Amino acid sequence: MKPYDVIVIGGGPAGLAAAVSANDSGAAVCLIERENRLGGILKQCIHDGFGLLRFGARLTGPEYAQRYINEVRARDIDVFTETFVTKTESDGGGFVIHAVNRSGVTVLSANALVLATGCRERTAKQVFIHGTRPAGVFTAGTAQHFTNLMGLQPANNCVILGSGDIGLIMARRLTLEGAKVLGVYEAKPTPSGLTRNLHQCLYDYGIPLYLSKTVTRVFGEDRVTGVEISAVDDAMRPVPGTEEYVACDTLILSVGLIPENEIAEALGVKLDDRTKGPVCDGQFMTNVDGVFSCGNALHVNDLVDYVSENAAIAGKNAANYKKAPRKLLELQADASLLYLVPQTLDLNRDNSKTTLFFRSKEPLDGASLKIYADGNEVLGKRYAFLRPPEMETLTLDFERFGLTENSRVTFKIVPKAQEG
Amino acid sequence: MDIVCIVCPKSCRITAAPGNPPVITGNSCKRGYQFALDELTAPKRTVCTTVRTVFPDAPVLPVKTSAEIPKDRIFDLMREINAFTLETRVGTGEAVIPDALGLGADVIATSDLLKETIPEGENDR
Amino acid sequence: MNIKKINKKLQKAFGGKFTAVYENGAVSVRGESGDWGEIVSACMAAATKNSTTHVVNDAVFTGAVPEEMRLPAITDSALDGKSPDVLIIGGGISGASIARELTKWKLDVLLIEKEADLALGASGRNDGEVHPGVDLGKGSLKHKYVRRGNRMYGDVCRELNVGFRRVGQYVGFLNGALRPLIGAYCLLRKYRDGIEDTEIISGKELHRREPNLNHAFKFAISNPSTGCVCPYGLTIAYAENAVQNGARVSLSTAALGMDVQNGEILSVCTNRGTVYPRLVINAAGVFAEEIAKMADDRFYSIHPRRGTNSILDKKAGVYMHSVSSVKELPAHDKSHSKGGGILHTVHDNLLVGPDAVETYEKENYATNADSIKTVFDKQTVSMPGLSKSDIITYFTGVRAPTFEEDFIIEKGRRTKNLIHCAGIQSPGLTTAPAVALDIEKMAVEMLSENSPVEKNEAFDPIRKGVPVLRDMPDDERAEMIRQNPDYGVIVCRCEEVSKGEILDALRSPICVPTVDGVKKRVRPGMGRCQGGFCSPLVVKIIAEFLGVPPEDVRKSADSAVITYGKTKGGADDETV
Repeated sequence: MKPYDVIVIGGGPAGLAAAVSANDSGAAVCLIERENRLGGILKQCIHDGFGLLRFGARLTGPEYAQRYINEVRARDIDVFTETFVTKTESDGGGFVIHAVNRSGVTVLSANALVLATGCRERTAKQVFIHGTRPAGVFTAGTAQHFTNLMGLQPANNCVILGSGDIGLIMARRLTLEGAKVLGVYEAKPTPSGLTRNLHQCLYDYGIPLYLSKTVTRVFGEDRVTGVEISAVDDAMRPVPGTEEYVACDTLILSVGLIPENEIAEALGVKLDDRTKGPVCDGQFMTNVDGVFSCGNALHVNDLVDYVSENAAIAGKNAANYKKAPRKLLELQADASLLYLVPQTLDLNRDNSKTTLFFRSKEPLDGASLKIYADGNEVLGKRYAFLRPPEMETLTLDFERFGLTENSRVTFKIVPKAQEG
Repeated sequence: MDIVCIVCPKSCRITAAPGNPPVITGNSCKRGYQFALDELTAPKRTVCTTVRTVFPDAPVLPVKTSAEIPKDRIFDLMREINAFTLETRVGTGEAVIPDALGLGADVIATSDLLKETIPEGENDR
Repeated sequence: MNIKKINKKLQKAFGGKFTAVYENGAVSVRGESGDWGEIVSACMAAATKNSTTHVVNDAVFTGAVPEEMRLPAITDSALDGKSPDVLIIGGGISGASIARELTKWKLDVLLIEKEADLALGASGRNDGEVHPGVDLGKGSLKHKYVRRGNRMYGDVCRELNVGFRRVGQYVGFLNGALRPLIGAYCLLRKYRDGIEDTEIISGKELHRREPNLNHAFKFAISNPSTGCVCPYGLTIAYAENAVQNGARVSLSTAALGMDVQNGEILSVCTNRGTVYPRLVINAAGVFAEEIAKMADDRFYSIHPRRGTNSILDKKAGVYMHSVSSVKELPAHDKSHSKGGGILHTVHDNLLVGPDAVETYEKENYATNADSIKTVFDKQTVSMPGLSKSDIITYFTGVRAPTFEEDFIIEKGRRTKNLIHCAGIQSPGLTTAPAVALDIEKMAVEMLSENSPVEKNEAFDPIRKGVPVLRDMPDDERAEMIRQNPDYGVIVCRCEEVSKGEILDALRSPICVPTVDGVKKRVRPGMGRCQGGFCSPLVVKIIAEFLGVPPEDVRKSADSAVITYGKTKGGADDETV
């Protein structure tokens, strides 16, 4: 059993970036990927728009992934593909990983773990769509897999539920392949995807977007024959009497992503109810010493560039990880924030360049992010607009706030109107 | 005309009015200015899709146009691409259909997929 | 049974809308209503508990035109002219278990199932509880078979290599004052009805065993013999063992009509040819009445009753490890179908449900928001921490009760080469192993009248199922992978299913090469992502196995198309 400094679980954009950065920090690194090719979900995201922040170029998903894969290949990193982690255990300060692949059961050990396990899509049942269970109900990612990796046409006439980015991207993609997209329905009163995607994926092709409407029922015995659409009220509950029938052969769902943290939970990692990812500190270390989290497993990012950024930080910190006492201070985000990552700071560590990720709960035109330490405003940052689908990031020097274990640090978003 | 810039995720809301020179406001970078200008006169898009291949291990290969093409030619390009079958194992950046439709843009591979998964016994190219 | 009394009762309750006539040895209820519930009530009013004279529903329902029975799309002559000793109609738990028991004899056994797989009716759409039988009245067939069936489960599941666990059941009571009454009830059940292990436990003991159940429970009935099993897994296992021992299973095969002369079925017409069986066993579930009618032996009616169950993520599986339910007295719940609780499944999910709703539709498996709400409202009393947000899927099944709410397990009354195994509803899964033995005996007796039936000395009761690698220790797993590296390729991440296991399922005695067929056998797609990640991979594996293009792979039936062919405008303009 060969001991590594760092084992990275997941070979998508987060895992690739974490492995590269851990290796660059001098660590002996092992990267484990369950699919037969590296790149994660980017393999099937053949549209462009990736990498503008990271590389200043408009790359497609496979191109973006390839840059990192090349970086991994250029380094002395042990890569296991088509290898699936079945068990993870803490073992006297380190970790033992059991994994299976075509050669059998492999047992690996490491000083630190980086969990880059990505996320999964919410399904029809998880948004309480009722009716029959025919073929033709796909999550957007599954439809994308069929279309872009297998060259198979999942839809002829389709309804898309959810205006998340993958749903919008698939609306355009299926249209290009000759399918008719009858409409994109969104239960929320505002779109979930990036504004530019509404324009380049829907409006460019004349695909209608219906807000405050949801799919409540699926019809069809063997293959979908239609769906029932209902208007929803302010609490997003379907309003009886508003049902309309739309004939279609496919329902595609883009109704949210859920971080995959089954391995984390098995290790005793605490999850944040808001992000559904681990609670972590400024080094992206979870409450379990030596276990780091990054990418969409930590929280769902809207840009892969951010995934790479936080994964690189996690990878570097995992490489430098030595067990040491922690002095954790909670960063409290009030209800005006959808969430804040990291959720804690380890005051025993250097927090002079801490990267924060947050989302506003409400769409706001003109607002400030305010940070208070023990009631005193220590930072106020203005934003021209804040939208829940568009994540914000900033790097802060917490050292200058003179924080102690007993400090109370709170984050709040104040709309322009209330600022006075 | 009100335009949402699609160049980067910032999605700037740009106002553009024709004229000499056109009046463009709301953009936060040069690329946004150019985008708005194009939208006013001749909107262009990059097309990302796949091409069919002869290789069973990868029946389709992701491709894109090496430059933006006129928006109103997108479906013409798709027809061209649909009629094409790739028979060589090209890598990222290599042209699959050079100067497609004579628009000055190549259809280029965006993945090394075909290079990665060469089955035993098959010669490369 | 007194027809005058029945009519008086009907007159009083429905004001002359319905009448009862004694005809062909059954109580025929006549009348007309646009309200299905009213027809069911009338037939129930006409029914006599534990009577062998059954109610036949001849009332006309004017409220809707029920859908015709779903029929397979295929028509061929695959079975034409076959003359099996026994034709079993229905590939549910009853038909499959009977088929297996009959292969102990040198008999030509043919089982037909109209759907594209086994267990697509009630057998695949229930909670998988192996009941203790504590709440069944003496004198019924349900009661006669439930203890026998329950006791058989350990051995049967061992032989058939099917997961089974005696998880125990708790029925919690919030009202402590009821304890003496319930205690007496349990003693009665124990000593009079033979439920040896039933006992009362204190609230404190209940919380020690199941800390997440409602702390307000004052005491509970404990039934340690209660178990859980995968109901479709057991059905498939029974059928596979039957096939291993020489039986034939023909899927997508429906009985369409029968030639009955002088009280004897001469032939059965199917969509795959006409079959000439010596004996017919009616195990057709919700359609048992239709089969009985075809056989000119209709003396009971089935009134479909649907129920919806929710499956919760394995993460919720740790909240509770048994079967639990809450009882309130006096019972508001007059339903005859058992169940309605929280159950830790054999696959370590939690299952919540079912409800019970009368319906005229025998094959409408659509789910409704109301069902989930009703069930959760009831079951959160048992377990306050139960959360709808843990739901990964839900499904509806349709039970097949008679109006007497008991099984019909007997020879044909007018037609002599026929056995009915009808009216099977909860606890029909529990009773199936025992019922199958009795029907085996009945069938062998009937067939022996003409010529002696010999024992099948080669009968092997052991079915070797697909190995479950996720449950194996590392060294055993490594050895399996050494023998077959496909066992090391995980296709379904949620349920940890390997390519090797999927291929094993495809090579099993009853190959159902569809996404749902594979899912039922080895579970890819049963987990929290519901096949989001693995379904394209499963499609690819099936296509490679069959040697067909991936667009030809179906979800279930032939018309359950997953993809409409190749992108790029289809294969038409393909240049290669």
